[in-house]
Amino acid sequence: MITNRPLFVLSCLMLFGAFAVPYLTHAPNRLISGQPFALRALLSQTALICLLPGVFLVLGPIFPQRPRVLLALIIAAVLALSGLVHIAATGADMLAQAAASPAARTSLGSGFWLMIVAAALALTDLTARAGFKPVARVLIGFGASLPIAAMILAGHLNELSIMKEYSNKADLFQTSLVRHFVIVLAALLPTLVVGIPLGVIAFRRASLGGPILSVLNIIQTVPSIALFGLLMAPLSALAVAVPGLKAIGISGIGLAPAVIALTLYSILPIVRNTAEGLAQVPRGVIEAATGMGMTPRQVFWQVEAPLALPVFLSGLRVTVVQAIGLAAVAALIGAGGLGAIMFQGLFSNALDLVLLGALPIIAIAVVADALFKLIVDVSRKGAA
Amino acid sequence: MIEFRNISKSFSGTQVVHDLNLTVEGGEFCVLIGSSGSGKSTILRMINRLIEHTSGEILFAGEGIRTFAPEVLRRRIGYAIQSVGLFPHWTVEANIATVPKLLGWDGARIDARITELLRLLNLDAARFRKAYPHQLSGGQQQRVGVARALAANPDVLLMDEPFGALDPITRDSLQAEMIRIHTETGKTIVFVTHDMDEALRLASRVVILEKGRIVQAASPRDLLNAPANDFVRAFLGKDDYGLKLLSVETVAERMRPSTEAMGQQAVLPQDNLRLALSRMVALKADRIAVRDADGTQVGVLFLADVVA
Repeated sequence: MITNRPLFVLSCLMLFGAFAVPYLTHAPNRLISGQPFALRALLSQTALICLLPGVFLVLGPIFPQRPRVLLALIIAAVLALSGLVHIAATGADMLAQAAASPAARTSLGSGFWLMIVAAALALTDLTARAGFKPVARVLIGFGASLPIAAMILAGHLNELSIMKEYSNKADLFQTSLVRHFVIVLAALLPTLVVGIPLGVIAFRRASLGGPILSVLNIIQTVPSIALFGLLMAPLSALAVAVPGLKAIGISGIGLAPAVIALTLYSILPIVRNTAEGLAQVPRGVIEAATGMGMTPRQVFWQVEAPLALPVFLSGLRVTVVQAIGLAAVAALIGAGGLGAIMFQGLFSNALDLVLLGALPIIAIAVVADALFKLIVDVSRKGAA
Repeated sequence: MIEFRNISKSFSGTQVVHDLNLTVEGGEFCVLIGSSGSGKSTILRMINRLIEHTSGEILFAGEGIRTFAPEVLRRRIGYAIQSVGLFPHWTVEANIATVPKLLGWDGARIDARITELLRLLNLDAARFRKAYPHQLSGGQQQRVGVARALAANPDVLLMDEPFGALDPITRDSLQAEMIRIHTETGKTIVFVTHDMDEALRLASRVVILEKGRIVQAASPRDLLNAPANDFVRAFLGKDDYGLKLLSVETVAERMRPSTEAMGQQAVLPQDNLRLALSRMVALKADRIAVRDADGTQVGVLFLADVVA
């Protein structure tokens, strides 16, 4: 009867989101917690049509999972994602007209989040089941998010509280977004410059490899906020002691401790995966390369490095995704970034402002993760 | 071609090769055989300096191997190993082109050489040139490994248990290829194995090693007819010693010229007596026709002459 168990679980989640919990909440202003609105209260005629692909998707687990059915379900999932957003947008428009007060706020409810996450997970499950290649799966995911991005850009979602928060803080959002990327990239550069050679040393010299990795492991266990705190005192002392440093922006708070802390966290996966990547190159291959007359340098660049690349890139993937998330915490020590918006929301009890900071971080991390998976996949070509 | 003069080798105080003296002549197929720990692989790897000898002198083409830069020496010596060691991220043609590229050959010459080698190793160029190693069977990989070792036309080919990991049928056909390649190219081959049947089949000279010393170095036939001591005798095997004896003699040596009409089944004059005996047993016959490659009968082999 149930032909696809994961999809069945997701269907149950979607039904729960549709009937048991509010789809939107509406409040007279941003500080008061809102009144719940279930999905059925928001259904106009067009919204009903938007729900049809969702209904088909919910019924998915009882159909035989043949290629054509899977393809139809994939299309349904893609449409359902846009449909859910569209229903939220039209619902917000409806509530805004009824309220007639510009201070009134319509927020996305737990029903919306449950359903959209379940539909997105269903899409990933279905594309994997249908046997699409990683490239195709990423493209399908990208394609599914395009209509939603178009709706946001066209202003269709403007009555939703999160977009109101955005329009209030558009400038801050843009500088924070740029700053977030700057923090991550600024940490990535020293990470690679230091991490790759350390990884090579850890592999070449077992006696050094153990201590290097234990130190990095210990750093990894320090909570991020504590590490930021630990860096504040020495860095501010340093900035006072060495006059030139302050001029180039080194101080106890701000970008410098954030980048240093992120670098310290990021080095471990890079060192570990560089060393592991090199270690899994078969001994016979290196012996053959040497025996045929390659110089040590040629052995490294032509044989070891390319064969270690996929494992190294999976380490880089972990590092980048981790750094994108950790950079949010860096806002606490004044480094800025999307985390700053998030914490502003947290401290002023404005949930939609928290989301305005958090959602882009999640989106960037997901996109980075997908892109790196693709790159790893491509780099494995031949070296199966 | 290769000369070991009083070679000793110690690994952190433990001596594994003791005062070795051995000369491998040009064109020889020299098989080093011994149990594990006999030093056979160490001796092989000292030739291309993957392992440095502790004392003594090794000459390659008349010159001490330490007068060459290691890379220069290695590019003049083909090298094939058991785990094949093909570069998994390179195609078959790129793998074969390794040493020619290191030597700076031009593209057209490398291309022609790859085609030539694939033909020599009976690999279909259209199918294999652009293939990656993981798309090949173990036997095909080892063929590519041999082709790669031969690529820059080295004077000497070193092979370290190259067929050890292959199934018996594939190993058998690759051994046949090696005999053919050795005859066609006249290369000097130094080959390490622990399989006595393989050694007797391939070698022009077998060097038996034990604990880093040569116990006996002789042609397969001399070895079987006059084993130097009990160790060699044990190595040659007890139960199938007689069959080994038959395996180093050819049908041509024991057949009688005759045109007597015989059955369809026949052996070639250059086949070994072991194979002929096996055929006779299978046919339940006490004689078998000897026909040359054209199918012309040149003689008859009698069972009595085989065991005589």
